[in-house]
Amino acid sequence: MYCISDHQIDFIQRDINRHGIITESLQQNLLDHICIIIEQNLEQNGDFEQFYATTIKTFYKEELREIEEETLFLLTSKGPHALFSRNQFFFLLFLVFIGPFIAYDLAWMRDSGAGFYLPMEILEGTMVFALFPFLVLFVLYLTPDNLDPLIPRKSKILIGIRPFIRIIPPNPGNASLG
Amino acid sequence: MYGYEITQKVKELTLDKIKITEGALYPTLHALEAEGLLTTKAEYIGKRVRKYYSLSAAGKAKSKERISELSNFIETMISLLDIKPKTA
Repeated sequence: MYCISDHQIDFIQRDINRHGIITESLQQNLLDHICIIIEQNLEQNGDFEQFYATTIKTFYKEELREIEEETLFLLTSKGPHALFSRNQFFFLLFLVFIGPFIAYDLAWMRDSGAGFYLPMEILEGTMVFALFPFLVLFVLYLTPDNLDPLIPRKSKILIGIRPFIRIIPPNPGNASLG
Repeated sequence: MYGYEITQKVKELTLDKIKITEGALYPTLHALEAEGLLTTKAEYIGKRVRKYYSLSAAGKAKSKERISELSNFIETMISLLDIKPKTA
């Protein structure tokens, strides 16, 4: 049985923290779990760092912080909820804020029987009420990540009851609650 | 039981057919603890902290309810698929 030193424990703790595990109790769980695996499977004169690097990779699919993200997700999502990708979320916003105006115009054209023709007063209404939300969504969608956007690329958006909306960024350290 | 012990127990009971990953285990344990279904006790081992999990009273009741649901579901599936249970 390998005897793990305090220095090695500090090394593991720093490493898991650096890789996105910031919840203290989760850090403690993972630290103890990794230490047990090392103690039980590494030979007395084995290479600690190499064994650790191989072991920690078995904990996740792509990145260690997935465990932190999953924990935060389960802890914060109460009741019915839905998780959207960034693109799906913007599509939903588009449907909610702009869709009704387009639907109204299409319905008007169908009912009037005038084909693809809209009188100026209808078209003006659409432009005034749909253009502003469209521009806002357009700016939000296109803001590059280096300008600290409200919804970063690769983030996920949780919509539920409590919280109503939560942006889950790619890095859980920057999580924000809405 | 603590986390590592849970994974080993599940492996042992299922003859290695079910392996709980760390990525699935700890988020679930934290969520169940937050819901009050699990209680924890910490043990300090040098610089490490080992957390022992056990079912709370609410957790035991919920567990009983879920096992009953699962049992009913399995019975329904057996009758639906007409599977004959193996007899010794």
